[in-house]
Amino acid sequence: MTDMELASHEWWERYKETVNDDPEMRVRGHDEFDANFYVEIGDERFLIQMDRGRVRDVVPNPGLNHRWEFGVEGSREAWEEFVRETPPPFNHEIIASHYRSAVRGEDGHLVLTGDNKRIFQNLRPFQRALDLMRVAHNGGGS
Amino acid sequence: MSGAIEEITGRYVHVEIGGVDHRVYFEENGPEDGIPLLCQHTAGNNCQEWRNLLTDEEITDRFRVIAYDLPFHGKSVPPTTQRWWTEDYTLTADRFAETIVGIADALELDDPIYMGSSMGGNVVLELADWYPDRFRALIGLECAAHSPGFYIDWLDHPHVNTTEVNAYSCWGLMAPQSPEEARRETMYLYEQGATGVFKGDLYYYSVDHDYRDKLDQIDAERCPVYVVNGEYDYLTTPDDGRETAKGIGDGAVAVEMAKIGHFPMSENPELFNAYLGEILDDITGEREGELPDVIAPEDVGVELHPPAPVRKPEGGGE
Repeated sequence: MTDMELASHEWWERYKETVNDDPEMRVRGHDEFDANFYVEIGDERFLIQMDRGRVRDVVPNPGLNHRWEFGVEGSREAWEEFVRETPPPFNHEIIASHYRSAVRGEDGHLVLTGDNKRIFQNLRPFQRALDLMRVAHNGGGS
Repeated sequence: MSGAIEEITGRYVHVEIGGVDHRVYFEENGPEDGIPLLCQHTAGNNCQEWRNLLTDEEITDRFRVIAYDLPFHGKSVPPTTQRWWTEDYTLTADRFAETIVGIADALELDDPIYMGSSMGGNVVLELADWYPDRFRALIGLECAAHSPGFYIDWLDHPHVNTTEVNAYSCWGLMAPQSPEEARRETMYLYEQGATGVFKGDLYYYSVDHDYRDKLDQIDAERCPVYVVNGEYDYLTTPDDGRETAKGIGDGAVAVEMAKIGHFPMSENPELFNAYLGEILDDITGEREGELPDVIAPEDVGVELHPPAPVRKPEGGGE
């Protein structure tokens, strides 16, 4: 387990390092992943600015001066489940979680927002970037 | 081990489907006089999903395991007499069930067990309803009366890398406890699908298949139905499976497989094959007592791969 609080400044620093050191983000075209996305954890929003598969910056509370293409929103509880070392069904992956919200109308899961086309154009590196939140949170893993 | 040859053999059988000759690839292993166990892959995939069942001696000692590629999948090329490239590939319930029965007939299988996963799991409901006397038993893995919401246009779109997206849209259908190398191989198999075929299969899966108001048409006392869903399957959950079996009534059994997902046979073959042994023993009457509501790794003596191994820095050490 991590000694850091999810989405604290130190936590995001570790996340940035995790993504930028991830071998999978360097290959199979994921090093072209350039789409900015946001992560909303409860009331807090963070903009993840991507630059060729690396996190350039994490901006808390992005505003009118910022741009993004898509995002993920959920309660703090849902995110805490998502980053758990062995996450519970169905908060274990973004499409799983979104499906239970969007198609089955359940509460307590994450929801995708923004341009669906851009999400599918960037699906795997975006999904990997989210899964790396779990790796960062637990100090390793896959 | 260099030089080791697996016992699987692959051949082609010609099957008339919709009045058209189709060349269907199938692989098999097991005794010629063993109970045939006919295995259907998931949407957009091919028979390689079953490779670890085809080489499991505990199963192939008793059963003749046969896994085929549905037309347009794997090595079953589209029918050469048809201008198939002028239309979208679209699988319907009628065509799907007719194809499965056509393959069983063409191979002259005597009283086979049918087993399929995902769309192959859902179709046990049509098979039980329309062909109740053709099979000894039906095993629906990741099966439900209804599985909406996955017929998605982006899965066949020129602006999307569908090779990768058709695979990784399914990434979270697998359990985090399943070994990473097996989950990655499942994705690799998905990446082999032809353009539009995954989406075309999902027309059956998410649109044409809807048994919510028709489950009472099924007489599972004529042909037993096993609805066997993984804990991490978010499309057709274990509770969906229980509801489906309950809707069918006598002869239908629901079993939840713990710590596994929607591609059990390929995402965690060791665990799935052990679970399947219990189901097969129930079908052949070798099992004592009823199947449990939930079956877990400890029930079948399988130790799980560590769920999230700490990544070791290069050069070794923790």
